[in-house]
Amino acid sequence: MAAETDPTFDGGSELRRRKLLGQVFEGVLVASTLVGVLALVALFVLIGNDALGPAEADASWFLLYFVTLVAPTSVYTLLVRRDEVASSINGLSFATVFGSLIGSAVVYVVVDSVRPHDVAIYLVVGSLFPALVLAYNRITGGSHYTGPALPVSILFGLVSARILYPFIIPVISIVADWILFVVVVTGPVAAGLGLFVTSRWSRRYGAVTAVAVLGATLATAGVAITQGIDPALSVVLVSVVAGPVAVVSLDTFKRRETGRYGLLGPWLLIGGIVAGAWLERQLGIEGLETWLTPTLLLNSWSSFRPEQAGIYPQLVGSVLVVGTMAVLSFPVGVGAAIYLEEYAPSTGWRGRLATALDVNISNLAGVPSVVYGLLGLALFQNFFGVAPWLPRALGLKPSLVIAAAATLGLLILPIVIVSSQEALRSVPDELRQGSYGLGASRWQTIRNVVLPEAVPGILTGMILALGRAIGETAPLVIIGVATTTYSAPEGVFGSAAALPLQIFASAANSIPEYRTGVVAAASVILLATMLIMNSTAILIRNRYENN
Amino acid sequence: MSDREMTTLQRDGVAVTKERLYRLLLAGCAALTLAVTSGIIIALLGGTVSFFSEVSIVAYLTGTEWSPVINGKFGVLPLLSGTLVITVVSAVVALPIGLSIAVYLSEYATPKVRSVLKPALEILAAIPTVVYGYFALVYVTPFLDDVLPLDFGTFNALSAGVAVGLVIIPMVSSISEDAISSVPDSLRNAAYGLGSTKFDVSTKVVVPAATSGIVSSYVLALSRAIGETMIVVIAAGLSPKMPFFPDVLKNLTNSVQTITSGIVQVAGAENASGVLLNAMFALGMTLFVLTLTMNILAEAVRRRYREEYS
Amino acid sequence: MSEQTETTSSTAAQRPEVNTESSGGQFEGKTVLESRDLDVYYGETQALQDVSLQIPEKQVTAMIGPSGCGKSTFLRCLNRMNDLVDTAHIEGDVFFNGKNIYADDVESVALRRRIGMVFQHPNPFPKTIYDNVAYGLRVQNNEVTDDIIEDSLRRAALWDEVKDQLDTSALDLSGGQQQRLCIARAIAVDPDVILMDEPASALDPIATSKIEDLIEELAEEYTVVIVTHNMQQAARISDKTAVFLTGGELVEFDDTNKIFENPENQRVEDYITGKFG
Repeated sequence: MAAETDPTFDGGSELRRRKLLGQVFEGVLVASTLVGVLALVALFVLIGNDALGPAEADASWFLLYFVTLVAPTSVYTLLVRRDEVASSINGLSFATVFGSLIGSAVVYVVVDSVRPHDVAIYLVVGSLFPALVLAYNRITGGSHYTGPALPVSILFGLVSARILYPFIIPVISIVADWILFVVVVTGPVAAGLGLFVTSRWSRRYGAVTAVAVLGATLATAGVAITQGIDPALSVVLVSVVAGPVAVVSLDTFKRRETGRYGLLGPWLLIGGIVAGAWLERQLGIEGLETWLTPTLLLNSWSSFRPEQAGIYPQLVGSVLVVGTMAVLSFPVGVGAAIYLEEYAPSTGWRGRLATALDVNISNLAGVPSVVYGLLGLALFQNFFGVAPWLPRALGLKPSLVIAAAATLGLLILPIVIVSSQEALRSVPDELRQGSYGLGASRWQTIRNVVLPEAVPGILTGMILALGRAIGETAPLVIIGVATTTYSAPEGVFGSAAALPLQIFASAANSIPEYRTGVVAAASVILLATMLIMNSTAILIRNRYENN
Repeated sequence: MSDREMTTLQRDGVAVTKERLYRLLLAGCAALTLAVTSGIIIALLGGTVSFFSEVSIVAYLTGTEWSPVINGKFGVLPLLSGTLVITVVSAVVALPIGLSIAVYLSEYATPKVRSVLKPALEILAAIPTVVYGYFALVYVTPFLDDVLPLDFGTFNALSAGVAVGLVIIPMVSSISEDAISSVPDSLRNAAYGLGSTKFDVSTKVVVPAATSGIVSSYVLALSRAIGETMIVVIAAGLSPKMPFFPDVLKNLTNSVQTITSGIVQVAGAENASGVLLNAMFALGMTLFVLTLTMNILAEAVRRRYREEYS
Repeated sequence: MSEQTETTSSTAAQRPEVNTESSGGQFEGKTVLESRDLDVYYGETQALQDVSLQIPEKQVTAMIGPSGCGKSTFLRCLNRMNDLVDTAHIEGDVFFNGKNIYADDVESVALRRRIGMVFQHPNPFPKTIYDNVAYGLRVQNNEVTDDIIEDSLRRAALWDEVKDQLDTSALDLSGGQQQRLCIARAIAVDPDVILMDEPASALDPIATSKIEDLIEELAEEYTVVIVTHNMQQAARISDKTAVFLTGGELVEFDDTNKIFENPENQRVEDYITGKFG
């Protein structure tokens, strides 16, 4: 009543004051958020600027790339975004082209550094027994034993490969490297693509695809030999890149009526860069003064000549270490998550044990990474002082690829377990019930219903864990992996190397070209890897959440 | 029908054995995590016990000089001091910013802004710390030298601490945001119903209601800052120092050594063996106990707030 | 306790292996499932009290009662789905063709292969229609033939609607179609008994009536046990009706006509006529 009789009561200015306060508060919140974002932008811009050196480039250089690259891709992106079908085809096309390009680089580099002979022996002998098991399964129509027999046969195959190794190696070492690349890379790729096409179209097309991939690869290798080029790389490129890209493009072309132009995306990007580079040379335009050069990617490290320093050994080392880690750690992590989510009861002593395990895992996730380094050191140096002979007898040292991989594997185990648990938990219980109601056992339910549903979530967690492992430095320093390396590791029992270690070793180098050049470029590579992994994970997650 | 009558309700033994086998295998995977914890404890304990058989525990805990390689002095206090400096700096950077981001994201931001900010924060957390260390050394330190009227060394605590702060911002913001968004809407509506402004609701209702979650995020983030290694090794240098007092700013401009960088320095020493090697494990044990205590504390606090609203 | 339930349990206790009910002449045909003195606890809470009843072969037996009365719990005891609930604790016996399914040598997985189940919410697997129907056969290591798939879908009255899209995702079907797919999935493995837990409660009236027609047809070949909270539905489709009331107590079990027209127990009459529930 008082307010009505007195329209100028104090609430007016009081309210205005509070409104202003609220605006100031919101302003402070936005400002602090911006500080975080700006720090991120500053990091990328400053390091990127030093690595790429755009300041030295001529204005016409920017114009050139605007015409060849930026303008076409922008127009194309606007077009594609309007059309849902084209946009999904575009995504598929980008994933295929760049995924296979990265895949081929990784495959080539790993097989090359591990030596194609060794890979061939282990792959061929190792897959012999599993193939027999699968064939038996096919003929008899399946039995209870084939499931457990498969991993056992793989193990058996690897062991027999190890035993037969000295007998095979003299025979196989006569064979040229590129033929082994055909066996190791083209064979599986052709078989895989053949099976894919068989499932999508027909058995006949599948056979045609497999033969075509094999034929194209051999033809390219033949041309390369006559031109005097090493055919190994072209074998890998044709099999791993051209094969899948052709299959996916043809498949899309046949299945989709509209939006086929979505396939063009990656080619516009690649074409723009190639055309720009060609014109830049033809017209003699002053380009970027970049440290991100083929030299950097393909050379070995040099401690005194920054312009010759390369990080090839470190790149190979990172790929090998992280790949081995994935093989060692992911199955265990997913297995543990399956036990905790699907098997462990909530009551009784088993239930209490499961709760204890959950608490333990969340504590492990908080253990500093240096401590994992100390664990790896104790484990591979003298086996906790209990059995110093054991690591030696197994040929293990803390600085080997396998030891580094195992150490990082233990480090990321909690991450993999927790993210897999979340993925499993998000599978609706109704599906499990439906499966049990049809007389499926627990394992059958997990394998046929739960895991397929949880795969995108598990995959997301795995990619994020890989991203974490690729940048991990401290544990590797502790276990004594050399920070500066001049040659790539020779297989999983070779000396480890890793890209972040080189950044660590050279960040304070007294030659300024290292600090603001080579190291910046190496950091850009590490950052780009991390960004690609994170955005892949985010894309998978979004797609999965939308469905 | 008669055939089916005859079949029993038992499954064949092989299938049951197979199920057991899988269960056992998966349980083994889960049990491996216990082995990891035990492995960490055994490894640290082994080295620590040998270390204290040669160096007295009192000398370790009260010694003011850390010079393991040259003088054989194993006083941990300088390293604790360095760890404290870095942690305080990172806390000053990350705690207010992290909480502001959390409040902004959960109370103010539109879905579109959220969809940009959340991945950006994830990236902030995902950048390798070795890159942060490099960034702090090569870019942040010269910048601070230009901006602040202080005389910074090449290696200094401030730039390393700021970089550590950047690393832990996402941790504070994401856990705090979880806590804030788990405050029930009924509480907010009640406050709005009484004529509160958004500012009032945020500061007087939502944040106080989420206090334990926010505190938990702070403790976890500080634990992470204590365990952070590469940034400190690269940007804060390796010279252990007792705190400067009363000239407090010198703590920021000088090079410091933390527990983690102490471990790395010993690991990098040529032919680390014997007491030197064991010193590394003693430091590791100190770090492990410190961070584990904080993590358990954070979890205990967090559990309390979960009970409040669920 | 009503006279009816007493009769049932005492007869059952005397002669477990004899399947034909003799007292009163109301149980024609063979008993497929029989529960005796069944108590179920979830943790400390008792969900079923001393339930004894016999389910006749190739008829529709309905379980009705207010929510929380234990009717679904009872259904889940019949194929040991309660084994999957950690806190569940079961006392008493359930006999399936004279064999105690809670005996030590009975494997719950094998039991569920003989006693299929359809759930309240349609829960097809995110696979193709074909793979959904084939799922049970595959996990039981039985041969999958196109004939079995077609036959199951026909018997679930779904074939004509989906025959041209067998390799599309089952999730693209409507709710009613999904539920019929779940029924097809259950009968593909040729069980003896089909348990249905409120199979139509999540569906619209048209889909519901299709499911009801289907249930009546299924009873020609299978023993059907259905839980429903819809009394009209029970009256329409079931031959026998069991009424559970609060606290997990089986109050009356008899021919459906008798339950709905002339129940013996006053509380049942109150429930049927809508005085409570």
